[in-house]
Amino acid sequence: MLQYLIILLDDTSVSFCHYDNVKKERRLIGLDDMKTGILFAMKENLNIQFVYPDYGLPQEYNDLIETIDHTKIMPAGNGTGADVFVVEGCHTLKDMDFVKDCVYVVRTDRTELFKEHEVISAALEKTARLNVVITDMEKFTEDDFVAYSSVLASLSKELERLYAGGKSPQLNILTDRMMLDKMNNCCAGDANITLAPDGKFYICPAFYLAGDDEDYGLGKVKFSIGDLQTGLDIKNPQLYRLDYAPLCRNCDACQCKRCVWLNRKTTYELNTPSHEQCVVAHLERNASRELLAAIRKHGAFLPQQEIKEIDYLDPFDKKDEW
Amino acid sequence: MKNLKTKSSEWRGELAKSITFIVTKDCQLACKYCYLVGKNTKERMSWEVAKQAIDYILGHEDDFKEESVIWDFIGGEPFLEIDLIDRICDYLKTEMFKRNHHWFNSYRFSFSTNGINYHTEKVQNFIKKNREHLSIGITIDGTRRKHDMNRIWKTPEMEQGIMPKPKDERGSYDDVVKNIPLWLEQFPSAGTKVTISSADLPYICESVLHLYSLGIHEVNINCVFENVWKDGDDALLEEQLMQLADAIIDGGYYKDYACSFFSESIGKPMDKVLENNNWCGAGRMLAVDANGIFYPCTRFAQYSLRDKQAWVIGNVHDGIDKNRLRPFLTLDRCTQSPQECIDCEVASGCAWCQGENYDAAYTNTIFQRSTAICKMHKARVRANNYYWNKLFRKLELEGEREEYERNKPKSNEITC
Repeated sequence: MLQYLIILLDDTSVSFCHYDNVKKERRLIGLDDMKTGILFAMKENLNIQFVYPDYGLPQEYNDLIETIDHTKIMPAGNGTGADVFVVEGCHTLKDMDFVKDCVYVVRTDRTELFKEHEVISAALEKTARLNVVITDMEKFTEDDFVAYSSVLASLSKELERLYAGGKSPQLNILTDRMMLDKMNNCCAGDANITLAPDGKFYICPAFYLAGDDEDYGLGKVKFSIGDLQTGLDIKNPQLYRLDYAPLCRNCDACQCKRCVWLNRKTTYELNTPSHEQCVVAHLERNASRELLAAIRKHGAFLPQQEIKEIDYLDPFDKKDEW
Repeated sequence: MKNLKTKSSEWRGELAKSITFIVTKDCQLACKYCYLVGKNTKERMSWEVAKQAIDYILGHEDDFKEESVIWDFIGGEPFLEIDLIDRICDYLKTEMFKRNHHWFNSYRFSFSTNGINYHTEKVQNFIKKNREHLSIGITIDGTRRKHDMNRIWKTPEMEQGIMPKPKDERGSYDDVVKNIPLWLEQFPSAGTKVTISSADLPYICESVLHLYSLGIHEVNINCVFENVWKDGDDALLEEQLMQLADAIIDGGYYKDYACSFFSESIGKPMDKVLENNNWCGAGRMLAVDANGIFYPCTRFAQYSLRDKQAWVIGNVHDGIDKNRLRPFLTLDRCTQSPQECIDCEVASGCAWCQGENYDAAYTNTIFQRSTAICKMHKARVRANNYYWNKLFRKLELEGEREEYERNKPKSNEITC
């Protein structure tokens, strides 16, 4: 069921997820389109998330935004008032002045993450929540999996120290799974859709930025799922739902993004994750399990929560047992 | 060496990997129902590509753990490339032996041919050389009028898109039927595959009986999966199958002959959990074409697709991208089926082709099952029920039921 409408305010709006936004030319969404989008969200009872570019918007846009309850996703360093700040690269966290109660998203490739993860450790006690987004997850090798495990173990030590000290910072890749007892994925195409500056709806910003002229396997396709005039038209909508994802519906790596864009790029199917996405999610899941046990050594903590020990990292390897 | 042969000599057909060489996209015929919409004379596999494919496959034994292998050769018409095929098979045998590969002596070479070149010296020499490891199916569609209605010779003009007038069409029945005795002499238990499209529905009964009269004991027959069916076709199919049922039962053919249209297992509801397997083997199979491109089955190669792009899973240089196989290997019946299929009370035996599903889907997915065949399946189920009710009553009355159960011929439910 749809719950969120993401509105990309500009072609150069910041990426807050796995996809890259390489667009440099500004193209602000039309004011009328934004009005119509807001009206659509009001009638469909959707929460709006505005995604900002790195420049200030015209005043009439700011005024319009304030007419509706919303969340602001902004590139770090671009003004104030954000609910979510996006940081490009771990190194940017080093000298950052963190805003209390704000969520920070740090986009990093695996090489930088492995090298600079101490910066993330240091940031944990400065913010209420930090989301790490790995931008090249599809390129993970077996060696990278080992390295990522070490990073997770290192970050877990810091989290354990903070929790033992009475603090409770959130780091998506480690603490989310501790709190969850069911899947909590991105849900693009199911719980949220995106309105782009061209006035059309997309499954998520990645599908808009992919463009119609690129071939991501299986030929060029139009990724739009409708527009403000004719409404939403999602073909095969069931494929965005968890119960229509054979691998994921049997999985308990609840914190996994289950990124449909990565799925589309790597396996050609929206509902099927790659080996790399599954293993990364399970390394996080297993590290969360160990973190949960470690925190409990310091006292009672989430007593109802149980993360079972498993002997696999990719549910695909267990498909014959379902 | 003796131990090696003994160790792996057992053929395990049910555990076999099917690997298809698309050796050519050319064919002497231009069958009207052929799903290969992109046939051409240019894309012929070279020896270099074939060798690279073999070296890749045999060099990655850990990725091909199936106990046995079917090396399948397809076209177009595969026997147009008999020299290449002979060289491929020689190399396969040598390499499997040299590499001490677990498929050595647990392999078959399989062919679906139009039968036109079957009698030629080269093909016959190949058969003699590989007799113990060969499966060859010749496609003959039934009576002359049914066969010649669809299976016509290609003309040079067709390559320019100019189709002959009906009176100028030349059927291939005579060119095929002359090779049937030789084929049956060499492969007495061989079956033929009959394809039914809308136009030839009226000739099903006579065609199956004709094939029996030629000495073919197993007739594997199926309606095309494409959305070609017209109003009333289901009634026509049902009528034809009931005529066929009467003829098989009254003529006593049921004792020694099989027709895959009639099966005790079809037409039952299916459990959502216990009977949730995918019907099609795409992804468990592997196909390679003249350009050295790997596909999950031949139906995902470009020449098989009307409206979609080829589903490439790798190539002979870079190998197979296993991520691109994951959807195929996790696909199940219910996830790809609309609710009407999941709830269907006569679901069992209703087949689908994954490639046709992909080609007909709204989006680029294999998770949308085409239901174009629905009414034809239901008609088949009604005729099938009639067949078994009539046959079992006859056997009961004649006291032959138990004997029949012990000796009944088996038909092949696999359609692709």
